[in-house]
Amino acid sequence: MRDPDILPPYGVLDRRRLLIGAGAAAGALALPVQSARAVVQLDVTQGTVQPMPIALPDFVGGTPGDSEVARNVSSVITANLRRCGLFVPIDPAAFIERVSNIDTVPRFADWRTINAQALVTGRMTRQSDGRLKAEFRLWDVFAGQQLAGQQYFTVPDNWRRIAHIISDAIYQRLTGEKGYFDSRVVFVDESGPKERRIKRLAIMDQDGANVRYLTRGDDLVLTPRFSPSTQEITYMSFGQSEPRVFLLNIETGQREVVGNFPGMSFAPRFSPDGQRVIMSLQQGRNANLYVLDLRSKVTTRLTDTPAIDTAPSYSPDGTRICFESDRGGSQQIYVMSASGGTAQRISFGEGSFSTPVWSPRGDAIAFTKIGRGQFGIGTMRPDGSGERMLTEGFHNEGPTFSPNGRIIMFFREASGSAGPSLYTVDITGRNEQRVQTPGFASDPAWSPLLS
Amino acid sequence: MKTGLTISALAHAGLLLWGLISFNARPLEARPTDSLPVDIISTKEFSELTKGVKNAPKVEESKQLVEKVAEPRTVDDTSAKISEKREVKTAAAEPPLPEPRPAEAKPEKKPPPKTDPIAETLKKEEAKKRAEERAKAKQQKQQQQKPQPKFDPMQIAALLDKRDPQRQAVTGEAVVPMPSLGTSSGSASKISQSELDAMRARLMQLWNPPAGVQNPQELVVRIRIKLGRDGRLAGPPIVLTSGRGTIFETARDNAIRALFRGQPFNMLSPSTYEAWKEIEITFDPRDMYNG
Repeated sequence: MRDPDILPPYGVLDRRRLLIGAGAAAGALALPVQSARAVVQLDVTQGTVQPMPIALPDFVGGTPGDSEVARNVSSVITANLRRCGLFVPIDPAAFIERVSNIDTVPRFADWRTINAQALVTGRMTRQSDGRLKAEFRLWDVFAGQQLAGQQYFTVPDNWRRIAHIISDAIYQRLTGEKGYFDSRVVFVDESGPKERRIKRLAIMDQDGANVRYLTRGDDLVLTPRFSPSTQEITYMSFGQSEPRVFLLNIETGQREVVGNFPGMSFAPRFSPDGQRVIMSLQQGRNANLYVLDLRSKVTTRLTDTPAIDTAPSYSPDGTRICFESDRGGSQQIYVMSASGGTAQRISFGEGSFSTPVWSPRGDAIAFTKIGRGQFGIGTMRPDGSGERMLTEGFHNEGPTFSPNGRIIMFFREASGSAGPSLYTVDITGRNEQRVQTPGFASDPAWSPLLS
Repeated sequence: MKTGLTISALAHAGLLLWGLISFNARPLEARPTDSLPVDIISTKEFSELTKGVKNAPKVEESKQLVEKVAEPRTVDDTSAKISEKREVKTAAAEPPLPEPRPAEAKPEKKPPPKTDPIAETLKKEEAKKRAEERAKAKQQKQQQQKPQPKFDPMQIAALLDKRDPQRQAVTGEAVVPMPSLGTSSGSASKISQSELDAMRARLMQLWNPPAGVQNPQELVVRIRIKLGRDGRLAGPPIVLTSGRGTIFETARDNAIRALFRGQPFNMLSPSTYEAWKEIEITFDPRDMYNG
């Protein structure tokens, strides 16, 4: 659908300057090396973490008819960067230079005056074949050079995704980490009175746009989870009979039951390669973990305890599993090899721990902690050290990581409120924000990056 | 009741009496303390305090050689003749080679067990002799060698020049015929620690390292900057750390951005410009992640 193209940097490395630079380098080599003198050394061991001021003037329309889509794209990018908490988009009213041509070097002094550290310029052009061309350049204002520049081609309806892809490119170049904007979130949409709640599976872009319903709401649905291919969802549904784990194709709407088990099955999740689904199967008053190979339909039992083992989650490399179990008396988090074996308890301390989720970066496990009448969301390292709480309150539950492992989405229900809503929080515990959904929402699950 | 009161009164009176006799109070004496010598110094002088002994005699300020009052110009070696003409650098001015180290016999390894001790001792003696002979021969050979000027490809012109070395007069603000020990660059004008602290404080305020990164040690960047007299960067910062990947690129760009935003570094006083015209700065967020 798109073919990204690196835009050549303008003004920074044209051929003439390159030649001059080469000459200067040769000259430097010919000069005698200065005697090594003691240079003053300065150690800066601390910085100030603050959002970076970034200037995002409206994209330019390549033809007069493109100015609206150009404005829309830059407003989506602005909203994305503002919401992630690492950037402060500068109010356009402060801009001194009006960008009309993105192929010339901006007047950096004008942008330095308003203290912009980065500048994004872009252009949207309708091509003769009906496609839309999107170009953008990211400038470092203080160093006076281009940091990134790319162009994409897409169908006009896809302008929102292009905006997310450009946001990801800016995010990655300025923070050094992969972005997460080009991703979707599946969640349980709740409507109706509390006694007769209608729960439907819904999917939306990570910023809350493009909400689409995947089920009609006849059956109760819980714990939807994305496959790594982002095309399928596995979830648990109370049909006419016992709760079962289902597999749903987002594009075709095709639905099937995972496995054929006598008791109820719940808490499913895909393996990182998408070939297997891990879940809990009920056996009398106990529950154990099972893995089902989606191709061969072979089921493997992983745990065998007189306890309830549930909420399994794979490490990103697929070698280990973290899960929740009450084998020690209260619900705690355990880690074991993906092929079963002995499990090691990693959560200690007051209260009980549930719904562990392994970060896509592999360095953290997020969990829900219940204690003293409060539900909190926290993270710890996979060895159980470094536990810290990101948020606490009346009811916070169901953490899910953004594709880059930087942000956790969860659902929260305030005391006395009519229903839950979705929230995001940075893994540093800062920048808590509510996610806009049409109604009440719970059980979010973040998809991997779409591209 | 009455008897109790009497006993109590007597007991209390007895206790008080005993206390009066047995506790002989010492008078509170406040001896006057010795007066302390106090020097009032500036913060700059405080940060330039040298390591030493408190009661050692104060040494005079080090003096640089100055033979003529003019724009400051320094010299490393004063052995050459002074001339008004251009400086002549020759290989003859090169310092001689360092003294050859006396060769020593290497300590023998521990003999393995189950060997003849006499044979071993003999062997050892022989080895020692041989080593000594070798060392002597080496020494003689080295003595025979004339001190050849060191070949420095950067100074071929100096090697070819067979004239006597000449130099120009050392100039400064006041004539100092008897210089103290030191180097031409290690001048008395030092950058003060408080100036550096002020610069560090500004960079700490402006440096925005990526937060919540998996491996903070990837964020360490060392940069050398050249500054002009106005405290502004005289050229693009030179990154001394090498690395790859987007995390490193970002850390590098963030550090450079802090330097650009921090200029002019007007906390550095122009009088010590020579000391801070080049600074190497290490950006390392270790204090942010340990806490």
